[in-house]
Amino acid sequence: MSELMKGNFEVKRKLDVPDVSDDSADFKNEFKKKALESIGGSMVFVEREMLFWESTESADGE
Amino acid sequence: MAKILFVNPVVREEDVPRHIPYGIALLAAIAMNNGHLVQIYDANAWRKGFGVLPDVYLADDWDVIAIGGLTTTYSFIKEACRIAKEVAPDAFLVAGGGFLTSMPQDIMEWIPQIDLGIVGEAFVTWPEVLEKIDNKDTDFSATLGVICRDGDGKPILNNTRPIIRDLNTLPAPAWDLFPLEEVYFKNSASLFSEDAYRIKRRIDINASYGCSLICRYCWHLGTTGDMLIEKDSNGNNDVVFTYGRNIRYHSPDYIIDMVKELKKNFNIDFVNFLDENLMTMDASSKRTWLKEICEKWIAAGLQPSSRRPGGKAAAPGEEPGVYWSGTSHASLHRPEILKLMYEAGCTHLVYGLESFDPGILKNLGKGTTAQKNIDSVGECMRSGIMPIPNIIIGFPEEDFQSVRNTINALIKLGIHARPHFATAYPGSEWYYTYKESIKEQYDGDLERYVADLGDATKITAVISHNFTGLELLGLQEIVAQRNLRVLDQAEKYWGRPGVTNVAAPQESFNFRRKKIDGPIDGSK
Repeated sequence: MSELMKGNFEVKRKLDVPDVSDDSADFKNEFKKKALESIGGSMVFVEREMLFWESTESADGE
Repeated sequence: MAKILFVNPVVREEDVPRHIPYGIALLAAIAMNNGHLVQIYDANAWRKGFGVLPDVYLADDWDVIAIGGLTTTYSFIKEACRIAKEVAPDAFLVAGGGFLTSMPQDIMEWIPQIDLGIVGEAFVTWPEVLEKIDNKDTDFSATLGVICRDGDGKPILNNTRPIIRDLNTLPAPAWDLFPLEEVYFKNSASLFSEDAYRIKRRIDINASYGCSLICRYCWHLGTTGDMLIEKDSNGNNDVVFTYGRNIRYHSPDYIIDMVKELKKNFNIDFVNFLDENLMTMDASSKRTWLKEICEKWIAAGLQPSSRRPGGKAAAPGEEPGVYWSGTSHASLHRPEILKLMYEAGCTHLVYGLESFDPGILKNLGKGTTAQKNIDSVGECMRSGIMPIPNIIIGFPEEDFQSVRNTINALIKLGIHARPHFATAYPGSEWYYTYKESIKEQYDGDLERYVADLGDATKITAVISHNFTGLELLGLQEIVAQRNLRVLDQAEKYWGRPGVTNVAAPQESFNFRRKKIDGPIDGSK
């Protein structure tokens, strides 16, 4: 775990933020950044988290 | 002693964190020197999102939570303040920095969680505030340089705190309270020059405060004698910005000692001067300041190996000296100082050339001309230092010919640039001149405009008299491509029947086009 806070004394409650969860977030962010930098012509990028869409199809496919 | 948590807000989210917040680092050092307990959570460095903030706020029983930054950090600060009051309601929430100083009344209204704002320079006000809080005294009605709240929560802006005269009384910033190895050193390199691209361990320093020029887009955070506080038409105190200037700089010895300490403690290989404009300080000192810095830099053994007589670049991690960079000015630089700066290790200098159009430059208050801008690029390059010219489009008087003049100069000088958009940041003359036009473009919602502000690479409110946002986006691409053919075509078919100007100038209480110096300690 990284030391997220630094100071001239010890805090009462140490932060418990694991590093492991950040790797995938870092990769996602890096990929998104590079993809956005490459946009032009046939290169497009769709954000997974920003898709506001609901299917109009009913459950039985009609 | 008070227990203080500093939170450094996220800025320029689209880029990696590159700069230790100099102001927070200084205020942390001042607090510790006054016997207080300090912790820093650098949200900009860690980029963990808002989810981690409750844990940060609950890590101890804080007397003070302090937050501040540039206007472009506004959205983060607003949410961070909301969470702070929800999670740690007993902590006294203090805000400061440019985002607050530029519009203290608005900010206190938009972020009701802030208990106290420090307006302008905080070097004297901050320890005074901490001492009062330490003594359980939260009556700030007689404290200079703050905006506090009355019993009903209404903001009360007190009179101006005089800025300090002697910068050398300041301690060194608390660099070690920031994630240097984990974050900042990894992002040391920049693409501004080959030498700057190779370096591994950069720290920024600030050798001077303010600038003698009066560029319409700029403002100086109330730290250069540019700010007064006066009663408005409703009888309420408000900030007034002027052309007043109190030029201040650290002595060369102070700067060299600081860099030597940074070399000794952190083995840095690069220093970036954050100064607004090194050359105006040099001119103010009658050309002695930069010369002395360079000479003492070399004498102190800080000259990089490649700049020493017969020397060559050191292997990575073995550089005995310190490269550096800073800011320059097309009219104020001189070949002899550029040469000496290169010898001392200067790699690149940012020039705010902004435009190559005579009319725009004349109105801008920049103190330069199109010809001087053109000459500056070659003069800087000839010294060995890489010039980094900044370009802007969308000036109030921008037209096709002014854009054409800029493109022609870019072609002539071999400059590739995607220009910034002229942006009216709160505190600047432009902001007060075009405030009503800005509000109109954001449906009357000024807070939405402030939240929208970034580093001027994207378009926000237009202050151009001639072009809409749509047209400016096209012109930005045309300048980036240096495409005179498309510019000519756009001009030929350009027309806006029935459409009035997008932006219109006006007079404002908050800006005085006069040289009225703000108070400085010791003045009669």
